[in-house]
Amino acid sequence: MKQSTVQRLAMRRRVLKLLGAGSAAAAGGWPALQATAQARNATLVIGLDISDAGAVTPDPARMNFYTPPLTTRTVYETLITLAPGDYQTLRPLLAESWERTPDGKGFRFRLRKNVKFVSGAPMTADDVKFSFDRLVNVKDQPSAYADNLGRVEVVDPYTVDVFPTNMDLPLLTILTAPSCGIYEKKIALANGATADADAKNTDKAAQWFGTTSIGTGPYKLVTWERNVQVTMVRNPHYWNGTPGFERVIIRHIGDGGAQLLALKRGDIDVAFNLSPEQLASVSDSADLAIAAEPTFDYVYMAITSSPELNPILARKEARQAIAYAIDYDGIRDALFGGVGVRPASFIPYGIGGSSKPFVEQARYGLNPAKAKEMLAKAGVPDGFEFEMAYGTAAIAGASFPVIAQKMQSDLAKVGIKAQLRPMDYANLRTVYYQGKASSVVLSWNLNAVEPWLWGSAAVDRVAKRVHWNVPPTTRTALSAAAAERDKGKQEALYQDFQRLLIDQANLIVLLQPVYRVAYRKRIKDFRLTGAGWMAELGAAKPA
Amino acid sequence: MTDSVAVSDDVQVAAIELRAESTSTRGQRWRRRYGLAAIGVAIIVAWMLVALLAPWIAPYRPDLVDVTQRLLPPSAAHWLGTDTLGRDVLSRLLYGARVSLFVSILVVLLGAAFGILVGGIAAYAGGWVEHALMRFTDLVLCFPPIILAMAIAAALGIGTVNTMIAMLVVWWPKFARLARGLVLVQRHQEYVEAAHVIGYGPGRVLLKHILPNALGPLIVLCTLDVGHAILVFAGLSFLGLGVVPPTAEWGAMVSEGRELVEQWWCATFAGLAIFTVVMGFNFLGDGVRDWLDPRARRR
Amino acid sequence: MFRYVSNRLITSVVLALFATLVVFLIASVVPGDPILAMLGDLAASKPEIVAEYRARWGLDLPLWQQYWIFLQRLFHGDLGISISTGRPVLADIAQYAPATVELGTIAFVLSIAIGVPFGIVAAVWRDSWVDHSARFISLVGVSSPVFWLAFIALTIFYGWLQIAPGPGRLDPIDFPPANVTGSFLIDSLIAGDWETFKTAFAHLILPSLVLCAATLGLITRITRASMLETLGQDYVRVARAKGMKERAVIVRHALPNALIPVITLAGLAYANLLTGTVLTETIFSWPGLGRYTFRSALSLDLPAIMGMTLLFAIVYLIINLLVDLSYALVDPRVLKR
Repeated sequence: MKQSTVQRLAMRRRVLKLLGAGSAAAAGGWPALQATAQARNATLVIGLDISDAGAVTPDPARMNFYTPPLTTRTVYETLITLAPGDYQTLRPLLAESWERTPDGKGFRFRLRKNVKFVSGAPMTADDVKFSFDRLVNVKDQPSAYADNLGRVEVVDPYTVDVFPTNMDLPLLTILTAPSCGIYEKKIALANGATADADAKNTDKAAQWFGTTSIGTGPYKLVTWERNVQVTMVRNPHYWNGTPGFERVIIRHIGDGGAQLLALKRGDIDVAFNLSPEQLASVSDSADLAIAAEPTFDYVYMAITSSPELNPILARKEARQAIAYAIDYDGIRDALFGGVGVRPASFIPYGIGGSSKPFVEQARYGLNPAKAKEMLAKAGVPDGFEFEMAYGTAAIAGASFPVIAQKMQSDLAKVGIKAQLRPMDYANLRTVYYQGKASSVVLSWNLNAVEPWLWGSAAVDRVAKRVHWNVPPTTRTALSAAAAERDKGKQEALYQDFQRLLIDQANLIVLLQPVYRVAYRKRIKDFRLTGAGWMAELGAAKPA
Repeated sequence: MTDSVAVSDDVQVAAIELRAESTSTRGQRWRRRYGLAAIGVAIIVAWMLVALLAPWIAPYRPDLVDVTQRLLPPSAAHWLGTDTLGRDVLSRLLYGARVSLFVSILVVLLGAAFGILVGGIAAYAGGWVEHALMRFTDLVLCFPPIILAMAIAAALGIGTVNTMIAMLVVWWPKFARLARGLVLVQRHQEYVEAAHVIGYGPGRVLLKHILPNALGPLIVLCTLDVGHAILVFAGLSFLGLGVVPPTAEWGAMVSEGRELVEQWWCATFAGLAIFTVVMGFNFLGDGVRDWLDPRARRR
Repeated sequence: MFRYVSNRLITSVVLALFATLVVFLIASVVPGDPILAMLGDLAASKPEIVAEYRARWGLDLPLWQQYWIFLQRLFHGDLGISISTGRPVLADIAQYAPATVELGTIAFVLSIAIGVPFGIVAAVWRDSWVDHSARFISLVGVSSPVFWLAFIALTIFYGWLQIAPGPGRLDPIDFPPANVTGSFLIDSLIAGDWETFKTAFAHLILPSLVLCAATLGLITRITRASMLETLGQDYVRVARAKGMKERAVIVRHALPNALIPVITLAGLAYANLLTGTVLTETIFSWPGLGRYTFRSALSLDLPAIMGMTLLFAIVYLIINLLVDLSYALVDPRVLKR
């Protein structure tokens, strides 16, 4: 595309500012244009809405779970990890290998020997112990998911033992989460971080973690500006080859339409928040491509069993009738662009025994006749009324109000009247968590790829919210599955557990969206991941 | 929160406009003065008929979801196209008139009633009563309406009735102010003194003697204000307050269609509907004002 | 005069504080808990973590104590920390206010710059096509829902014709100029950055045009009306009879008097513009106070809500005071009450 002089000057100025170059360089003459174009090519610019309420810091011990993991995982690495597309196999990252400890009570990790931090210092077991202890003792949000992370012992500079607090519960998959990233103990201590038992009150490094990074990842954090931009530069000491770009910039763009335009004009290289309609227009462009990756997030509906809230919903058959009345495929095709999968129950498709054959056989599907049959069994052949609460947000481009209205019309076809109760987010979660909602339509976000996390959520905190008295047999089924070491047997046990959840019908999963991202073809090896940190930025490189 | 100016300023504008004179034939003057008003009446009557007859004239049910028919452009089957859930835009438009007209007229009437009462009493009583009531009016006026509306929605839940309550809370002060000003002017007139001398009680004097004389600008304000109320209610619905789905409402329709630039019909027609109704009320308000001013009548 | 002003000022402060109290009470009885909106699912269902966050924000104290703390902080010029941004509310306001003021002021200037001449011309050539079009346009401006106008403007000029830039104050890839006043137009001129000035200006055009629509309508009408009334006055007739050129009559005699009511109403209009931008800012992704207020209310961010209520109330009351004072300048009888 031929550009006028004015446009090229403007572009050069913008790119130079983007790269933090001084105004003197910007005032330079024509020859600088070539250098500018090169600099732009060496920069990966991502357009993403980073205005989520919890996105305050990339500190692994304090980060929230929506957009910060993308940055955290790029600058801090974990001992073991999951590759995009394969979430069952643990792969070595900072740890070369691992086995059980001699006493069988923990795991022994042998660390890679050639890993250096961004400062140039080598990574040792001391750093691992410090990072893990700090995660646990700071007792901020990420620690809640690392409940099972117990004692950590340094055996020698490149060997570390990690003991779970409960042997029958999973630990390894938890360690793949970005919050278990490893950072340099010495520098962290020098800047107010502490891993002591009282770290909750004495650790002062939260702000500092937003100003730089001290990890082993391919890039190093330079700035973190809330709602504006995150800037990272290449880590010169990266142990695994040379990262593809000189800089990676995550730019906040809240509007999908603005992201699309910026992408088309080449101002950004990747757009994360496009709606299905916007993605459709991407295919018109020869320079743009779409990357898709199934995720483990899903949209679900939680229905109460409390007779005080709704005596009819307390009957299992009534809830099953709801499950049979929803037009799942219609929701997927019309509201999510036709892409997405649907698990059978609370454990997402792709792990924990939720394989294709199982899921297709066990899950609910649109069946109005069966729905009416269930209504009759529940004693309300002509239908009944109930309240459905939801928020104003959107997931994968589809907004909850629209999803709720579609469900309402589906249910009306078999005689069930859903009264919609839109709420603001705070109200919605309060009402739900306090167990005062008849039913709620929400999304569930992944923390770590471990089936037990979903299972335990279903029988513990979610069960409380929907007033479900979980029978001991269900709990036993779950703990048996968690404790089972044989992969094949474990999957079968999880399937048994899921069948119990499905029959109970308190939790109906509507869709597990496929996240789709548009990017410029000049970026090679841009891989999305469903493991919780959105994309593997370390692998991407310019064409 | 509304992006328009206090309507009582309109009344002042109106008063100034009227004092200007012209020299033309009676017929010309009548047409010039009341031509637009007649158009306004026609528009309003048309929409009221639509609102009343919606169940009979709408081609489809407004909540008929059919996702296989979603986002269709205007065609013979769907004159104004379909929205993101396959619902007929025309039918939703017709039903939307019911909510908009009903809510705004009710809010204005109730707000005016309460406001006139407060302002009238304040002006008539004078002294500390007036002072206290006017400070109270000021207090309500300096509230950010959007915060109030959202707080009430959070406390009571989202819905038509609750939004009306939120609107009522901020609606009456302007009537109170205007009423106070008008009653003040009347209060010092001789006929009021005469009424006192005769022995009429304050309530009777206020209601039967003062208010009827002060009514003119108040009626003008009411008429112009219905349009304003429609805009505010649509704005609140646009922001996510207002009606509960699947009730069709114009502001909510614009909000749902906002991202759909390619499928412009979803948002455009609803906004156009709001625009025509409000304009009708504005035309009518202008005409009522022209008609009620005694100076205009004299000519 | 001085006593009148100081009385009004004191009353304004009291009223503004009262407003915060009312908002505080309403927001406190809302069932929603803002902490739950922030925390992840597991964290939010662990009472210890929720309790710790609540204590961190002082939400576990009794209501009267919370409000008392708010007043104490206020006395020291501190509006507390916003729960959703984690920054002092004053810092938030300082960041977002310039955007709203810039937008509102440009919209106001537009409505005056277009509306006043239009109104004058319409009055001078009464009943001509100019007059009719002025009346029509002003009615259109007052009758259009702002959010719809914004959508139409974006669709046509940004989506189809592609001559207007997208939402936001700058292109996503642009950087704001060094912060002096917060207004991008002024700051980029100070920095000598012509490119940024042009981008900022281009981004301002659509939102300010949309925002000024209603005010433009009103200013046009009142200018026309006031001009008409002035032109019908006796002294104007006298001036004409004396043989003064029409142009001189209009400019030197009619116009100054005609503009007085325009000025007072314009003041109120400016206040309304500054405080009523939430819809425009939402559609144009304008990072201003309107959107900040809306988001704070949405997430039950109590400190931010109270801060904005206070700001809104004070701005409103002060501008009202100024307008009343200008009435007093015109008609001293007002002061006697």
